[in-house]
Amino acid sequence: MSQFTATPRNHRQHRRQSVVKAIFLLMTVLLIVPVLLILTFLIVKGAPVLSFEFLFAMPENGMTAGGILPALVGTVWLVTVALLASVPVGVAAAIYLSEYAPDNWLTRAINLAIINLAGVPSIVHALFGVGAFVLFFKFGTSILAASLTLAIMTLPVVIVSTLEALRSVPQAFREACWNMGATRWQTIRKVVLPNSVSGILTGVILEVSRTAGETAPIMFTGAAFFLPFLPQGVLDQTMALSLHLFVISTQVPGVPEGFPYGVALVLISLVLLMNAISIGFRTWLRGRKKW
Amino acid sequence: MRTACVVLCLSVLVACGGRSGSRKAIQNKGSDTLVNVAQTWAEEYKKVNPNVAVAVSGGGTGTGLSALINGTVDIANASRKMEPKEIELARKHGIEPVEFIVGYDALAVYVHAKNPLPSLTMAKLAEIYADGGSISRWDQLGVDVPDAKDSKIVLVSRQNNSGTYAYFKEAVLGKDREYRMGTLDMHGSKDVVDLVHKTPGAIGYSGLAYHTDEVRMIPIAKDDDSPAIIPCEKTALDQSYPIARPLFMYSRGQPEGEVKAYLDWILSDAGQRVIADRGYAPVRPLPEK
Repeated sequence: MSQFTATPRNHRQHRRQSVVKAIFLLMTVLLIVPVLLILTFLIVKGAPVLSFEFLFAMPENGMTAGGILPALVGTVWLVTVALLASVPVGVAAAIYLSEYAPDNWLTRAINLAIINLAGVPSIVHALFGVGAFVLFFKFGTSILAASLTLAIMTLPVVIVSTLEALRSVPQAFREACWNMGATRWQTIRKVVLPNSVSGILTGVILEVSRTAGETAPIMFTGAAFFLPFLPQGVLDQTMALSLHLFVISTQVPGVPEGFPYGVALVLISLVLLMNAISIGFRTWLRGRKKW
Repeated sequence: MRTACVVLCLSVLVACGGRSGSRKAIQNKGSDTLVNVAQTWAEEYKKVNPNVAVAVSGGGTGTGLSALINGTVDIANASRKMEPKEIELARKHGIEPVEFIVGYDALAVYVHAKNPLPSLTMAKLAEIYADGGSISRWDQLGVDVPDAKDSKIVLVSRQNNSGTYAYFKEAVLGKDREYRMGTLDMHGSKDVVDLVHKTPGAIGYSGLAYHTDEVRMIPIAKDDDSPAIIPCEKTALDQSYPIARPLFMYSRGQPEGEVKAYLDWILSDAGQRVIADRGYAPVRPLPEK
């Protein structure tokens, strides 16, 4: 008997290995199943109501007919203003923490605060938004107040993902740059940022997805049950897809059965579309990476 | 790249310089009972005066009144009268609420379409809903409800900041009694009707306007000697149906300008036609079209 012949023990271990692998595979598949089910369900139920009119007409007849234009436009407004507010702050904070901050108690406290901010429930952010932006800063219930609330809520996502992106740039790149006599800012501008843009974009994508779907933070700060007009500025109130979905599925009698699914489908498509654009852009940027 | 970014930011800032130029915005928030009527009013008013945008939000009577007290809305919708302590609080904030009755709502008592119960008196309804009440099974009322488990009455109620919740308690249970423990508390008038439709043994209360063909409204009698009255616009307006209530709008001080014009329009025949079409009773009988 050669020493390389499989013993019964080897066989047993091999079988065990197969079983474990099968279980893990099953778990992975289970993960995909809900996603597929949700999408199929939404498409089957919602696709029939989708039409040019559904997307680009004002609601009519007590929101039981017509379209969802003000909600669609409102969500785009909310997401855009929230991005304009949170990305510059978040990226700047991450650059400071990653490139400048010494490792002392203050930095550690800031990091702890960021982690805690990420754990605050969205309804608490909503309450903060009402107190701070609506009442104290007197923005009223407006896109500005709602978007700033959303921005604060998503700030940790932007900071943490930007931090990770910046840290993934090899330290040797920076050292090489400093050795050439470049200042820290020159290093960041010319070396660190160009090499981490794709990672930063990932954070932005995550933020967009979360911002577009949130209902609680905008409910009291800027989103209305109904508005007969499109918003024209950041101090206007607005309708939003997420709240509209809640409203027509729980509050309004006589809404056609497909309507809520149509709204859900539009919301999810909007998020997927934005994600697809950013992912495409990211891939393009990564293709230009030199390492 | 950088120039493009700067141009983009600047153009966005210019484009959204602030509130829309000449258009006046009216903020309207409150009762979930009124929210659908308020929404239709806002939708119709756009045709009357395109320069006024009425923003409507729900959330409940309490939400609307506290927004009025905080000064964040122009008009609050309420399905109950403002309480003295709320008025006092508003005055402390320098706001004098002015009350308008904009219509009447009958609170219908809904059961499953297959439930054969012919009618109820107010006293029996109270025994069903009150804490410590004596009726908890359908057979105690002498009816056999198909598919109701053990003939048990499933109580459907509303969340406790709802004006409907407060009004039903006041009208049916009276001041001294509380709701029974273990009621299913729904967060919207429509949810109550939906749940009753899905649950054979259920009973629930909700606005007349939320009636669908899948549930049945029970005629209600004031007492054993009175006739049982089916809720409808007419019986709500002449107060012969025992659970009918006025619906209110509160303005921040005496209304002026566009807010006054809007409230005047709501109380006009055109505005009252909207509330009547929505299944509520108008404040006065309307002329035939």
